[in-house]
Amino acid sequence: MDDRKIGLFDILGPVMIGPSSSHTAGVARIAFLARRILPGRLDWARVSFYGSLARTYRGHGSDKAAIAGLLGILPEDERLAFAPELAAREGLEVEIKPVYDGPERYHPNTVVLELRSGERKLRVRGASVGGGEILLQSVNGFEAQLDGRLDALLVLHHDEPGVIAHVAALLASAGINIASLASRRKDRGDEALLVAEVDGRVDARLIDSLSSLAAVRQVVHVPSIRS
Amino acid sequence: MSWLFTTAAELLARASEAGLSVADYLVAREAFYSSASPEATRSEIARRIRITRQSLDAGLARPQRSFSGLTDGAAVKLHDFAAAPGAAAPAVADPLFRLALAYALAVNEVNACGGKIVAVPTAGSSGVVPGVLWAYRDVRRKDLDADSREFQDAFVVASAVGMVIASRATLAGAAGGCQAECGAAAAMAAAGLLCLLGRGGEDCLSGAALSLKNCLGLACDPVAGLVEVPCVKRNAFMAANALTAATLVEAGIRSAIPFDEVVGAMKAIGDSMPAALRESSLGGLATTPTGLACKERIERG
Repeated sequence: MDDRKIGLFDILGPVMIGPSSSHTAGVARIAFLARRILPGRLDWARVSFYGSLARTYRGHGSDKAAIAGLLGILPEDERLAFAPELAAREGLEVEIKPVYDGPERYHPNTVVLELRSGERKLRVRGASVGGGEILLQSVNGFEAQLDGRLDALLVLHHDEPGVIAHVAALLASAGINIASLASRRKDRGDEALLVAEVDGRVDARLIDSLSSLAAVRQVVHVPSIRS
Repeated sequence: MSWLFTTAAELLARASEAGLSVADYLVAREAFYSSASPEATRSEIARRIRITRQSLDAGLARPQRSFSGLTDGAAVKLHDFAAAPGAAAPAVADPLFRLALAYALAVNEVNACGGKIVAVPTAGSSGVVPGVLWAYRDVRRKDLDADSREFQDAFVVASAVGMVIASRATLAGAAGGCQAECGAAAAMAAAGLLCLLGRGGEDCLSGAALSLKNCLGLACDPVAGLVEVPCVKRNAFMAANALTAATLVEAGIRSAIPFDEVVGAMKAIGDSMPAALRESSLGGLATTPTGLACKERIERG
């Protein structure tokens, strides 16, 4: 997560469909951000609500908001209210699951999304932390801290010496400033996920050069959800 | 130029060092962070202000009724009453006061019914700032162009107060109770209104301090977990709070405790509030016999 301070439009905003910035807008943003990680046609989705969301999601339209986000509809778009109908029209069935006895360590407003697009799968856990602000805290089992403010790069790689240096060097040669950088591995010498938030825009050439690094398995560009 | 501030005192100092008004400083800061131009930033502010007006108009165009039944056209009722002629006319409040209450209700009813709003600073408190600022403009300053810098600056100065509260305390009812949502909104509206009255930063902050002091410790205890009771009507009360604060400052009355210290107190109070009063619907109004009956009725569908 970028350590940027609170901005004007965080307070004068977000522009959103009511009734709750945390339970409606935040949930839509989490789903929207998840789809930036797994774009393309969605075959299946399960939305699990924890904590306060599990108890109050109907009244806050959190289910509609989650489906809207999955369809690429932003919190301020009036189509949010009709998202379930739109999903049905697209043949997307979304399973909504309230979980009343979730782990203690989860944030009080947590949503877990499990998505499938062809062979590709994504499981993310996001927290709606207030006022529409969000934090993706887990991506396919890797701990993360993504708030969607800046463009981000997710680099799935083999845990070995020099990967971070190579990634940083390629970003530097593309003239891109790294705002934050974190890497987590499953185990020594196992898979690892590097998450870099960057200033400015990432282009396809940079993705290609990152992907061609020997230790890199997959590179996902996650464009900011604020632009 | 530094863009970092956490206290309001620091914000005033930064703006002054930069030779800018607080509003222009915050516009420049936003432009820096978003890599947009100051002009584009100003247009986005204008767009958001226009949306607050659309919410307000939608809330007065027809009675807003939510699926829960807890929101039931109070804004239209108040607006009609406020416009009643002769003997039926309101005995208590003057036109600005009445309209501010009706506008605040209108925006927040639209929110409760799943309409489009600007969460300034949150959805549950979204009626207060637009209610006060638009009512002042409509009653006292009909000449003021809604797209003008002067009107924009009032919203930006209001937002400055929210930014300080967000960075030093919280704007989430789940973390700090309703003082953090409707309380913050009242403080923001007081500062924004004083800005429209041509007052400088210190006066705006004094208004914000007076306003916020009178919301400290406020419980967030929504019935059935919905952003309706007490939220919607509280938006009207908080509009009144902001008008009171601005009136006191106009009369030369100042807050004995500076704004930044009030925010510190707000944070400490929020931290010591029981979870039952922080948006869990496990206490307060939510667990009154009527509150529980509402919850049961809504959950049965």
